[in-house]
Amino acid sequence: MKASDKPYYLRGIPVPETPAPGKELHPWKETHVIGKPLSRADAYQRVSGAAIFPSDTLLPDMLYGAILRCPYPNALVKSVDVSQAERLSGVRAVITGSTPGADLKWTYLQGSSTKLFDPHCRFEGETVAAVAAETPYQAWDAVQTISVQYQVLPYTVDERSAIEPGAPKVHQPGNRVGQPEKYQRGGVEKGFSEADVVLEQDYRTECELHTPLELHGCVAKWDGDQLTIWESTQGVYGVQSKVAQVLALPLSKVRVVGHYIGGGFGSKLQPGKYTVIAALLAKAAARPVKLFLSREETFLSCGNRPPSNMRLKAGVKKDGTLTALQFSVTGTGGAYPAGGVSLVDWLIRDLYTCPNVQTEAIDIFTHTGPARPFRAPGHPQGSWALEQMLDALAEKISMDPVELRLKNIPAFSQARDGNPKYTTTGLRECLETGAKTFGWREALQRVRESGRAGHIKRGVGMAACLWVAGGGGPPSTIIIKLFSDGSANLNMGASDIGTGTKTVMAMVLSEELGLDIDRIQIENADTGTTQYATPSGGSKTVPTEAPAVRAAAVHVKQQLLAMAAEDLKTQAANLIIKDGEIVAASDPSKKIKITDVAGLKKRGVLVGVGYRGPNPKNKVTNPFGAQFCEVLVNTRTGEVEVVRFVAAQDSGRVMNRLTYENQVIGGITMGIGLAMTEFRVLDKNETGKLCNKNWHDYKLPTALDVPSDIVSVPVELEDSEANSTGAKGLGEPVTIPTAAAIANAVYNATGIRVTTTPINPVQLSLLLSEAKIKG
Amino acid sequence: MKKQLLSMNVNDETIEVAVEASASLLEVLRDELGYIGVKEGCSEGACGACTVLMDGRPVRSCLTLALEAEGSSITTIEGLASGGQLHPIQQAFVDRGAVQCGFCTPGMILSAKALLDHNPNPSDEEIKDALAGNFCRCTGYAKILDAVCSLRPASSSKPGR
Amino acid sequence: MLPNFKYVRPGSVEEAIDHLTSEGARVHAGGTDLLGCLRDNVFGALKVVSINALDDLRGIRQTPDRGVRIGALATITQVENHELINERYKGLAMGASEVASPQLRNQGTIGGNICQKPRCWYYRGEFHCIRKGGNLCYAFGGENQFHCIFGSDKKCCIVHPSDIAPALVAFDARVRVSGHKGDRLVPIEKFYVLPGEDVERETVLEAGEIVTEIILPPIIEGTRSSYRKVRARRSWDFALAGVALALVLKGGKVESGRVVLSGAAPVPWRSHTVEKVIIGQKLDSKTITRAAETAVHNAEPLAKNSYKIPLFKAIIEEELTKIAIG
Repeated sequence: MKASDKPYYLRGIPVPETPAPGKELHPWKETHVIGKPLSRADAYQRVSGAAIFPSDTLLPDMLYGAILRCPYPNALVKSVDVSQAERLSGVRAVITGSTPGADLKWTYLQGSSTKLFDPHCRFEGETVAAVAAETPYQAWDAVQTISVQYQVLPYTVDERSAIEPGAPKVHQPGNRVGQPEKYQRGGVEKGFSEADVVLEQDYRTECELHTPLELHGCVAKWDGDQLTIWESTQGVYGVQSKVAQVLALPLSKVRVVGHYIGGGFGSKLQPGKYTVIAALLAKAAARPVKLFLSREETFLSCGNRPPSNMRLKAGVKKDGTLTALQFSVTGTGGAYPAGGVSLVDWLIRDLYTCPNVQTEAIDIFTHTGPARPFRAPGHPQGSWALEQMLDALAEKISMDPVELRLKNIPAFSQARDGNPKYTTTGLRECLETGAKTFGWREALQRVRESGRAGHIKRGVGMAACLWVAGGGGPPSTIIIKLFSDGSANLNMGASDIGTGTKTVMAMVLSEELGLDIDRIQIENADTGTTQYATPSGGSKTVPTEAPAVRAAAVHVKQQLLAMAAEDLKTQAANLIIKDGEIVAASDPSKKIKITDVAGLKKRGVLVGVGYRGPNPKNKVTNPFGAQFCEVLVNTRTGEVEVVRFVAAQDSGRVMNRLTYENQVIGGITMGIGLAMTEFRVLDKNETGKLCNKNWHDYKLPTALDVPSDIVSVPVELEDSEANSTGAKGLGEPVTIPTAAAIANAVYNATGIRVTTTPINPVQLSLLLSEAKIKG
Repeated sequence: MKKQLLSMNVNDETIEVAVEASASLLEVLRDELGYIGVKEGCSEGACGACTVLMDGRPVRSCLTLALEAEGSSITTIEGLASGGQLHPIQQAFVDRGAVQCGFCTPGMILSAKALLDHNPNPSDEEIKDALAGNFCRCTGYAKILDAVCSLRPASSSKPGR
Repeated sequence: MLPNFKYVRPGSVEEAIDHLTSEGARVHAGGTDLLGCLRDNVFGALKVVSINALDDLRGIRQTPDRGVRIGALATITQVENHELINERYKGLAMGASEVASPQLRNQGTIGGNICQKPRCWYYRGEFHCIRKGGNLCYAFGGENQFHCIFGSDKKCCIVHPSDIAPALVAFDARVRVSGHKGDRLVPIEKFYVLPGEDVERETVLEAGEIVTEIILPPIIEGTRSSYRKVRARRSWDFALAGVALALVLKGGKVESGRVVLSGAAPVPWRSHTVEKVIIGQKLDSKTITRAAETAVHNAEPLAKNSYKIPLFKAIIEEELTKIAIG
């Protein structure tokens, strides 16, 4: 073994210094583990089939649950007859809204409540009854025999017509969800009058569905009055609190476990009605119940990225100074308040310097499934409008679109009260580094020179972004146990939703304690055995959990050094840890192996506790990014091939280069879905039902739809204020500008501005032929 | 309905199991036999998470009646690693970061195995095509392609640009 | 969830046909379409008759007259990769390569592919549409972006989902149908049924009949063929618009041949109008433009699928140009 192959702490390099108790931790100046492209701590389990996902849970004596769902977008349940179902062989429990104990209140994302089995079904797929039986087939057959009398009511499923007079009402008194949300700074009229160019354009993004690979659902089991739930979730504590609240149980009686999760993207931040239904069925049958939804049910009832109808008017001076942005958006979170327009206007408010901004957001009820947060809620939609508009403005004033953005880099957050500064603002560096890596000027030049010959046209486009959150923050509690043989256990409540949380946290511990990752056991995502954590989402998991892990590791070191100081008869402040030993800095002959420390041997384990400290005052931590892409467009058929992508993201310190790239590539792939292949289709004219509730008709991008050439260039600005690791969130910003960058590239190739997603041959062939006719 | 006896070979082990006529191979492998590495994503043949090798060919176990597997050899992801030692394809997925949540991974690896068993030196396009029936919603496909490319003979181990 | 059914695996075609004449019997070859339909409750089944033990129905081989016989159980992958087919019937191999996804091509058979059920989301969904015995086609007034522009007969506006059938029509293949009354060879063009004739069936197959083989006639010298498909996604997706060509070129002119559209009509849609324009002509740009225009001349687009007009024009122009170049 070469010296350089050895872990750093066996090369005579001390682990990071251990501050005295109570002293603040500052980001590392130098790291030896953090940032490396290490493969996943649980990679073996994930590639070998050994990982037990919640949907893999098999318990002895387990029953299978199934839910009867309303087939209409708006209907009253007049009667439910379950007598036949109850008589079927294998059926062990049937519940409806009139079952004792099942008449429960339920709140979707926000505000007003409904019932677990509400007699008024306000969207297709709302729950009506449920069954538990010995086999999935028996459960399903039993559900089919339940006879329901519905009073079918008029519906409205399209938010564009739902606020017209006479549209069927989802709730009394009408289809507006509260008052429009308004924002203003400066005066846009003044701003437009100062502009040399003013453009106005409508944009629309279609409704997108999360569709993670693993279905939504859980297994529920009672031991007396103690409920245990294995759920496919992004946050076990979120499931625990909601289930406890709905079932009126103390938190201590609800244990939620979710060691693995096959994707969530925001749709598994919260439990579903299915979670509570599984618990009720398990109680009624006195047996464990597995209730995982069918793929079709998840399409109907497990959330979406709402459609957004946007209008943006923008003014710019010839020198590239933005003078005014006026934006309005309508959208729908479905039949219950669920953030139908949340954050859609955030980029317009905050991404670029602009003194005069006005936005208005109108959320509308429709008879459709409630939305759930979807990777960077609102942002890709707002980006679709804003970043295409910037592109159009740049063309009008004959300025490079990168240059136009560089002219309007904000020095602080304009949309927040008090205009706080960002801890770091990497927007400029992202634009410059991305453009350089992509070869932006040269690529633009090549497109210009390629001229008019041939019907396959090349185009390049770019877009930039920030993400409203991504700084993380309290609370988080981490416990690290150092065992007497020097191995350790890392205990945290947070889920690893595939982003590599477990791996990154193990790396923090490895960095601090000088410990091989394979000597670290990670115990997580179990409310019974791990510490409180908020759900993994919002690009906040690393900046929230990693500082707490570091604090816990430092707590372990402080105790260890105190113990070693006794053994070595010196002061703890004199000691450093290297080569698995604790050594006096002043006298290297004075040393002791970690495993020989008497206090550790005697106690058997050293427990360190770490908490996430507060965020800096009067500062805001946001990630930034810029993406560049190249496309080929068949200008006869409208077929678009994305050839390559470059993503320059400022998410602070790179914690693990490999999982970092996973996020970047995954975000771009999902953005390609929004831009080119995905859209929900509702049968709005005749039945209000969902047309494409399967994965053939709802189209995810495949390996053939995305480029293999995706380059990630991290813009690693040192952030000494955000938190003790210097890392910012990554998972969401990487999907925000993708769709707009593609639209801009398609414009560059064809001269056609596609303002509605998706850019597919259905839309583009028509636009191309219309353009041809116009000449 | 009466169950019928099914005899097949799963991961080099002869298995006899009584199954319902309407049971899919996916349901029998997962629920009856405990091969939980065979994932259920859609039960309609779209996502490829349930991919297994049937006599060496990748098939959708959700769209295969269990009784149709009579006499055939099935390989699931559990049949690849032996004695704690990962199969080279699995190792490449680990090393190249081709895994995110891991739910699509078993199906993806088996599709890759079928390809490489028949064609040890596939082109980039052949690899993409072979994996085009497996959805990944987390990390996209670039790293997965990279992992499979790395298993080609040394001269062509990188994906082309 | 699949319904409860009996499963049989007969050892001879005769036995299979016997089983298939019983009430609620369904034939199972690759199973990929059958199981999907059963799961979605498009229709039921009391008995599933697997024909996979019928080895006579496998294989692809040359016939004595230098045509090719493809057993109904040949998988799509086998058709896609077969040397003879690639050499002589390129358009068919291209069609096969565009089907679904690799796994489904391994499972799906050519017999099943040409008999598959439509992919209309109303037909596959919980809508009691006219094709399932209801009295309404929801697509006419509904979400019809993926529906037909020809041949709906104002009754049902599905498109035929096969990428293989258009190529088979272009090559004038025949389908051997076996049933109680014996065998019959049906030209594949006559194999399909338009909604105006019978809206509840897609093919002429009677109860108890199955497809046993497909016969391709010997290739005429000078034949050039291709299949082009435009889709919304590059894998596991059906044609938005497609065209199969098999043209015989002699002395620079189109002597004979067929032009067949997919994604256009409830059946593989032979475009006699295009054939009329090009046969006897040189494939120069004027002829090609005229052919493309003619192709969509009598199209009846619905509210959301008028994009198919420029799309068909584009691919016909593109493919004829390629054929002309050779």
